[in-house]
Amino acid sequence: MGVERSRRSFLVVAGLLGLAACGSNTGREGSAAGTLRHWYHAYGEDGVQEAVRRYAAAYPDADVEVQWNPGDYDSKIVTALQNSAVPDVFEAQIKVDWVRNKQVVPLDDLLGDAKDDFVATLLESQTVDGKLYGIPQAIDTQVLFYRPSLLAAAGVTPPTTVDGLLDAAKRLNTGGVRGLFAGNDGGVGVLTAPLLWSAGLDFLSEDGTAPGFDDPRAATVFAKFRELHTGGGLLLGAPTDWADPGAFVDGKAAMQWTGLWNLPKITEAHGDDVGVLPFPALDGDGAESVPVGAYSAMVNARGADTDAAKAYVKWLWVEKTDYQTEFATAFGAHLPARASLAEKAASLRDGPGKDIVGFVADGGRIASPARWSATANTALSDAVSRIAREGADPVGELRAAVDVARAEIARLGR
Amino acid sequence: MIPPVGHRRGTLGAIAHWAALVVATVLFLLPFFVLLRDGLAAGWSTVADLFTDMEIPFARSLLNSTVVASLQTAGQLLLCSLAGYGLARIPYRHAPKILYAVVATLMVPTAVTFVPSFVVVSSLGWLSDLRGLVVPGLFSALNVFLFRQYFLDFPVSLEEAGRLDGLSRWGVFWRVVVPNSTAFFAAIAVIDFIGSWNQFLWPLIIAQDSSTWTVQVALSSLLTAQNPKITLLFAGAAVSILPIVLVFVLAQRYLVRGVTETGLQG
Amino acid sequence: MTRRTALTFWLFVGPFAAGLLLFTYAPIGWSAYLSFFDARNTVTPTEFVGLGNYVDMLTDRAFLDSLGTFSLFALFVIPTTVVLALVLALMVDRVRVAKAFFRSVFFLPFACSYVVASLVWKMSLFSGVDTGVANTVFGWFGGDPQAWVGTVDPPLYWVVLVTARLWLQLGFYMILFIAALQRIPAHLYEAAWTDGAAPGWQTFRHVTLPGVRGALVAVLVLNLINAYQAFDEFYNILGDSRGYPPFARPPLVYLYYTSLGSGGQDLGRGSAGAVILALVIALVTLLSGKVFRRSS
Repeated sequence: MGVERSRRSFLVVAGLLGLAACGSNTGREGSAAGTLRHWYHAYGEDGVQEAVRRYAAAYPDADVEVQWNPGDYDSKIVTALQNSAVPDVFEAQIKVDWVRNKQVVPLDDLLGDAKDDFVATLLESQTVDGKLYGIPQAIDTQVLFYRPSLLAAAGVTPPTTVDGLLDAAKRLNTGGVRGLFAGNDGGVGVLTAPLLWSAGLDFLSEDGTAPGFDDPRAATVFAKFRELHTGGGLLLGAPTDWADPGAFVDGKAAMQWTGLWNLPKITEAHGDDVGVLPFPALDGDGAESVPVGAYSAMVNARGADTDAAKAYVKWLWVEKTDYQTEFATAFGAHLPARASLAEKAASLRDGPGKDIVGFVADGGRIASPARWSATANTALSDAVSRIAREGADPVGELRAAVDVARAEIARLGR
Repeated sequence: MIPPVGHRRGTLGAIAHWAALVVATVLFLLPFFVLLRDGLAAGWSTVADLFTDMEIPFARSLLNSTVVASLQTAGQLLLCSLAGYGLARIPYRHAPKILYAVVATLMVPTAVTFVPSFVVVSSLGWLSDLRGLVVPGLFSALNVFLFRQYFLDFPVSLEEAGRLDGLSRWGVFWRVVVPNSTAFFAAIAVIDFIGSWNQFLWPLIIAQDSSTWTVQVALSSLLTAQNPKITLLFAGAAVSILPIVLVFVLAQRYLVRGVTETGLQG
Repeated sequence: MTRRTALTFWLFVGPFAAGLLLFTYAPIGWSAYLSFFDARNTVTPTEFVGLGNYVDMLTDRAFLDSLGTFSLFALFVIPTTVVLALVLALMVDRVRVAKAFFRSVFFLPFACSYVVASLVWKMSLFSGVDTGVANTVFGWFGGDPQAWVGTVDPPLYWVVLVTARLWLQLGFYMILFIAALQRIPAHLYEAAWTDGAAPGWQTFRHVTLPGVRGALVAVLVLNLINAYQAFDEFYNILGDSRGYPPFARPPLVYLYYTSLGSGGQDLGRGSAGAVILALVIALVTLLSGKVFRRSS
């Protein structure tokens, strides 16, 4: 009796120990020695996934496995960067916290001569404490698309002020067509920054040492945003969200705030009946604007082989200009991140595309600054959501957000 | 099972009763109907597309879910029945304290443990790994509680007969108690399997590599995507609940008996 | 003899206890420890901040809102579940034909995951387009299509969230009540009848209700425990590729985004929040336990 029992118990204990011993302390290594894991978020356009897999397969010096991530990509990246060796390479926009937590690897040495070819403001946006952490892949922007025919029918001129936009949205609201679509959250996610810029404000002050929206004009402009919500002109509850041109293409909204990348689908649907506008200014003290950003290729500091990862990033995003051009121009419309490739974008040579290039040059603003932390962004975004969707008091809500932003700036400044 | 005596009810009452049942049935079955209708809206080819679409590794996620759920169920049955029996039958001096320590964890919400558990699991190197998905969930205090309740009610005479035959407690457990408790084990197995298959938060944070996604994580990724492919999503969801619904319909009787036998109403 | 007993005990209970220690108690202890430190994405805490994280969380508008959300959710879901589960149990138990069929129908959603239910609820039943089921029904009564999930004023999303949970959970609690109903001895009903109690409400109040009291307590406690863990349907119905809106954020969702998601990687504050939540829940459970013991 003793033998049988002790043998069984030994097996159980041994099994458990074996399980524990199988693990290692430094996080999981790549599935096979030398495999690089490359994460992308799920692009809406067809063909992108096949293309990036093709690029990965073409890399001669290592096996690269591409993971496509639908859903909340930003959260996934943050979770992964916590303590995981996966992914090795990924696309994102840099945040100071990642640098401070030593989660990403500096990539200055990858650029070499090509440095001057990249758009300077974008390189700057991915630079923290003097070091570059991401190689821009393709420039994205968002604009207001509208149907000139519908505007003409309603007797509305294309809006050049915020008040004009509010008026247009209201007047274009007829029958089954709403005035404006900016997302199922009523535009809180994508219009917060343009609204700040329209009032001459920003997330952070010029030198980055204070919140940039600590100003009564912030309350004014967000009160206008509330008016947009109560005016009845906003489309809510569309089957797809702002990043997809569905609402505009299907004629559910006369205007839609969406990305440049949708230009081909939009012109295919409405031909010449397409106009574009930047986000208008509040008044003379503000300015028109379009948000600009670029997903940039980064290397996970906890990856199994950061040198191999860096070599891959250099090969794909610095050397292979043909891939970079295809990535930026063949699927949806993006602006190439490099000046020398800019003229290759066919859809941006005339019509709305050309206008948009102009908007970027004149009023392009960085949409996701490195020093604007996630916590501060959540606080401001929550505040704007409450103001616009629940009718909360702008002054009180913004003051709370300013406090959080100030605390975050202080924390990052240390 | 005897209808209460003296409960007179007119025809009107009977009609109202039946009408309510029919309405409730329609409401309860509606989501399943919608799932099938929208999943097959584009035809049966959608199901085939599920397995070839590159957006999510659906087949792999189904496999992962099967493996994880099976391993977890087996592991839970083993560990928790042993613990439940030990706590029910063995007159160990400190047993009440241990029992209290186990039951106390039922009160602890996932919110308290999921982040540090994540840290523990990642330190073990079990991120994006089957072990990280399976092992932490094996230690279910609820299962131990249920098993203990059940074993307390188990006929002692059978066990004593075993002991008289010269079996140790270990032997009694495996040779007398378990073979006579298959219905209850089956019930718990079904509940555990369903729970494990349907689990979401834990696989969400542990299975980062898409090759380790369970089917719930895969579906959620599709659902929260920028432009969800609706028919694909619904077809995938229908496929994902098919095995569970099947198991459920077949084993339902055991399930009901198991739930009622745990004496939860005590 | 006691040494042998001890060994045998640990043979049975040991493996489970070891696992519980490693995967439940150690994390709880770690969480409590970490909550007193400034810990942003580090396994090892960096700077001791004492109660700093606790103060931060208790003055954090979003965290307090999340406690409010949970309370509201519990208030909507728990009484409704208890009443409806009992009603269903009575309906199924009293029917004379096809009892097993009806029981299966109401219990079947238990097999469905929260993710699957979320997608049916969000994309089809309560979708914002006019072809969504709810909007179609609304249309029959002359209403306009509503964006159920996105409308904050009035908070229509509660309808979506609560009905989803009810559908998934009612069957299970119904089974508990049915079992309890079947244990009520028939002679109690006979006695009530001869004492002149009218069938219907009076019988219900004096015979049925006391008879299911044990199940009632079990259902309430289980329901409360489940309500704390609310995550799956909230994340999948309200969340999207951009994250999560500021309303209807239950504590677990908020802590997830704060600690591991796009909200900040702050494990120190996340842990403090988790501890606060645990204390609140312990308090509520103890209080409700006292209330029920007194009423018996």
